[in-house]
Amino acid sequence: MRELLNFRRYILDNGLKVLILEDHRLPILSYQVHVKAGSRFERPGITGISHLFEHMMFRGTSRLGPEEFSKIIQSRGGIVNAFTTQDHTTYWENVPSDQLELVIELEAHRLKELKLDEESFYTEREVVRSERKMRISTTPYGAALEELFSLAYLRHPYRWPIIGWDSDLRNLSLKDCEEYFRLHYAPNNMVIAICGDVAPEKALDLICKHYGDLTPQKCFHKIEPEPPQRGERRSVFKKPVELEAIFWAYHVPGIDSDDIFPLLGICECLSGGRSSRFWQKFVRPGKATEVRLVADPPPFWPKDPGLLILYAIEKPGIPLSSLEKEIEEEISLFKEKGPAENELEKIKNRLKASFLRSLESLFFRGLVGGIYEIKLDGFEKSWEILERYESLKAEDMIQVAEKYLHEDNRTCIIVKSISIEENTKFGLIE
Amino acid sequence: MKELNLNPIEIHLDSNHKIFALSYGKVPLSYLVMLIKAGSEKDPKGKEGLTDLWAEGLTLGTKKKSLEELIFEVEKLGGYLEGSAGWDFSLLLISGLEEKLDNLLKILSEIFCEPDFPFQEIEKAKERRLSNLLQLKDDPSKMADRLIWNMAMEGTPYAHPISGSLSSIRNITLEDIRHFHNKIYPKQHSTFFILSKEVKTELLEKAKDTFLNLITNKKEEKESPTTPPTPQSRILIIDRPDLTQSEIRIAFSSLPRKDNRYHILKLMNYLLGGGGFSSRLMERVRSQKGYTYSIRSSFASLKTCGTLIISTFTPTNNTYATFEEILSTIEDFTKQGPTEKELEEAKRFFEKSFTLRIETPRQLLNEIILQETYDLKFQNLFDEIEKIKKINIEEIKSIAQEILQKQRMQVLIIGNSQHFVKNFETFGNLQLMPYKDVSP
Repeated sequence: MRELLNFRRYILDNGLKVLILEDHRLPILSYQVHVKAGSRFERPGITGISHLFEHMMFRGTSRLGPEEFSKIIQSRGGIVNAFTTQDHTTYWENVPSDQLELVIELEAHRLKELKLDEESFYTEREVVRSERKMRISTTPYGAALEELFSLAYLRHPYRWPIIGWDSDLRNLSLKDCEEYFRLHYAPNNMVIAICGDVAPEKALDLICKHYGDLTPQKCFHKIEPEPPQRGERRSVFKKPVELEAIFWAYHVPGIDSDDIFPLLGICECLSGGRSSRFWQKFVRPGKATEVRLVADPPPFWPKDPGLLILYAIEKPGIPLSSLEKEIEEEISLFKEKGPAENELEKIKNRLKASFLRSLESLFFRGLVGGIYEIKLDGFEKSWEILERYESLKAEDMIQVAEKYLHEDNRTCIIVKSISIEENTKFGLIE
Repeated sequence: MKELNLNPIEIHLDSNHKIFALSYGKVPLSYLVMLIKAGSEKDPKGKEGLTDLWAEGLTLGTKKKSLEELIFEVEKLGGYLEGSAGWDFSLLLISGLEEKLDNLLKILSEIFCEPDFPFQEIEKAKERRLSNLLQLKDDPSKMADRLIWNMAMEGTPYAHPISGSLSSIRNITLEDIRHFHNKIYPKQHSTFFILSKEVKTELLEKAKDTFLNLITNKKEEKESPTTPPTPQSRILIIDRPDLTQSEIRIAFSSLPRKDNRYHILKLMNYLLGGGGFSSRLMERVRSQKGYTYSIRSSFASLKTCGTLIISTFTPTNNTYATFEEILSTIEDFTKQGPTEKELEEAKRFFEKSFTLRIETPRQLLNEIILQETYDLKFQNLFDEIEKIKKINIEEIKSIAQEILQKQRMQVLIIGNSQHFVKNFETFGNLQLMPYKDVSP
């Protein structure tokens, strides 16, 4: 396991961290730039700016036209993209290994000479608004999930969506982007991960050459902690849907907590695969279309205390209220008895196999190293993942279930179906 | 192939059955796949979804084990079991930790040699599929994909969803599934794939014994070739007033997999809309106009016919402008073809990205399964790159002109139609229907 994630760490004088992992099985590599810039660092009024800025990074530089960055990488046989989360933004290129110098040079170039102009900004802002509609407005439950987060959090920035509120997106300006870039895109706020067919010393020389002259900045950002929830919050969301649904969110700790592994074990026990309790109890006999308890496994588990989400999609003819009651009973049963011995073995093997399956790609291995480094200042923590799964204990799972999966710690949204005509009185979902 | 050190072992057991084994990957995981060269195109009329349900049925219990016992045994090994159909193939896949490979092989053997197709579980599986279809109806993007496929494939054995429809699933009986298993499936060619970090000789011997048990001597039925009809252009607008964004799909008839210009089609699709930011559609509709977050073209080349589909979405007020921009992009592309620079860059992408596209065992497996389904040799994966390198602009233009014909395109739009329906009236052959009347 350790050999699959055994990065070498280097830190440049300007604070830039570089992780390099050699694997010469195939002549390819994954190059990733992780920036501490996600929706967690935003404030009301500029929600969505981290993600919009990620788009702007592809809109050209002093010598490259819009999207030319991507075209160059593709023309050399590479695949390029980026994504924004609550905690960070990641830019990545998977390329043939002989293209390493090109990607290092291009990534450093856009940090130094990004071209931010009005025309590109307004075009891209509309692109992002279209993306928002795709993810939130036109999906069956996207808007309800958005409301779940904003109800579960009162103060912490996880309460707004990564893509931002539409009202904020409409008002964002080029000046906001310039300011955001200045505050967050500093070398001491980034981690570069290179994973694959790479010679570490040569790669490091190239990084020093191209990134060495970037100036560090003071990157300070105060995050408002979320106060403990003092009782269940419940709401109804009405829209035209064929199938009604329940969404529950439980507050759980951040990625640095030991509790995340038993919590993942609970998710696996209740809804991992067709042998899981929820599938056997609700989906198999047709009591529900889908019932799942989900969390983002490491490295994607959030930095700050996050949410464990349970969702249940109705089966027509079965009232949501009775489904909700039966789900509560299943959770109570788990708290009482925990997993059986053979169930525990299954949970461990499934979690291990799932993590190993991800490690088949260099890209994912780079993400594990890079994201652990950016969230926890130490990729070495990722070495423990398999071991943690292997040493899961029934009593730990019972204990964390009791600690987090209770009514006072829960936020609930019920998605109720209404007709298209009724929907008009609410207006359109933007 | 030499650079990648791929040394597959192929064992031909008889003219219809073979084993394909390959040591691949760095992580201790294994993949076992039984591929049967019969897919959803074999579904009888009115019982669409039968092949897919048969494949799922294999995983619902054996003569020795109930569904619960079977799935628990697989998942306890860190395994994953899937039975599903494609258009021209079906497969049973089991994967898990390499250290448990022996057990996984035993389970796979039991599933095929002693399936049970328990009535209660089949009925429940049908019920689940019906619920899933209702769930799908809530997603206009998925509905658009499903509906355009049926429009594009009308008149062919592929003009239905693989998983079946609300009406066809209800018509499938246990007898249909047993008939498929006893009469249809044994006549098909099949291949047993083993991909693992290390394939040991003793495992190969065990696999051979297992597979020999599955061979029957029944002769394959000869297939009669079908000629796909030539559709006339039409536009279907489905009204959903609550949407703020329209789903747009445009489909054209395309080439079957065995057409010797398949590699030209592949390159043409990349240049038109399959190549992300390197494609014309992305350049014009997203980068220049900002109409959408995503636009792409994709193609399916099947045993007897194929289709190429352009997919995008855009805020309601841009619907017609986006449609016009797509047509204008297609017109420019078919008239002038790609530039020399675009063509060279696209060819280089296919050549240089090859290793990236087969990095993981699962990625390589997907490629090999498709080669095998269409009777292509493993080596073809590599030969295709050489063929792509020789393509010229005229060949791209010619195939674009043959496929992207406006008078044969099928158009589907789901959205708040009052804002754009009038614009489409000039195209003729326009049909408007409310979303509630659409059946998934």
